[in-house]
Amino acid sequence: MSVRLVVRTFSELCITAGALIILFVVYFLFWTGVKAADAAEGEIDTLQSQWAREPVAQAPPPGSAEPSPSPSAAPAPAPYRDGKPFATMRIPRFGADWEWPVLENTAVGTLQKGLGHYSGTARPGDTGNFAVAGHRRTYGDPFKDFPKLRPGDAVVVNDGTTWFTYRIAKKPYRTVPTDTAVVDPVPRGSGFEGAGRYLTLTTCEPEWGSSHRLIAWAHLDATRPVSDGRPPELSG
Amino acid sequence: MYGWIWRHLPGNAWVRGVISLVLVLAVVYALFQYVFPWAEPLLPFGDVTVDGASAGGAGADQ
Repeated sequence: MSVRLVVRTFSELCITAGALIILFVVYFLFWTGVKAADAAEGEIDTLQSQWAREPVAQAPPPGSAEPSPSPSAAPAPAPYRDGKPFATMRIPRFGADWEWPVLENTAVGTLQKGLGHYSGTARPGDTGNFAVAGHRRTYGDPFKDFPKLRPGDAVVVNDGTTWFTYRIAKKPYRTVPTDTAVVDPVPRGSGFEGAGRYLTLTTCEPEWGSSHRLIAWAHLDATRPVSDGRPPELSG
Repeated sequence: MYGWIWRHLPGNAWVRGVISLVLVLAVVYALFQYVFPWAEPLLPFGDVTVDGASAGGAGADQ
């Protein structure tokens, strides 16, 4: 009798553990994507209503094809608020409907809602390195197709006033997690020389692991005021 | 374990079945809402930044 009770309880515990594992896999592979899509949509909505309400104060001078930094002429823009969205990113290589918000900082909770901007790196369009991290798997898989990036691919960032079109410089570069020089103002390993307006994307490598990181670099190719409509890269 | 729970639920078989279903749903909800979000960052899949930390930190080196 007691042996039967022990065996039965043990079997029930095994079944429970199996069900737990299956549920966790469902949560991990499916539910995080649902949550991230919902959160990212909410962040983009927040941004758009914010932009509609109060135009961002750092509009570039009209007619200038190149961005003019001139920090002395314009007052310094307000710092980005931690965990809040400040721009959207589109990468046509990842699909025409691929659009994610870029949020300030790279905390775990921030990256569950969209892409994370490394605090302390440059703003989009500024001289320096605009560095952004994103999940490759889970939470909507934003950077799932990261290895498909090729030189010349467009990365289009919209901060509410300006479309910044960056061009990927080389195929994704594999490195170790401690290699923080890849987000330096002049990133090491990128082949860029001298100061410039760069963009760095980071994600994990291998796809389901964390032993390495995959890095993509781009340089600013064109800017366009939002009032002039979408850049041609997005219509193709 | 499950037999013990079943025997301690009130009502006839139908009522017990409904209560069991509610209990299962409550457990699944608690798992998805609280337990899994806590457990998930302990796995390595969220490490997408270069910051020198093993867990996805807040870019302490930046």
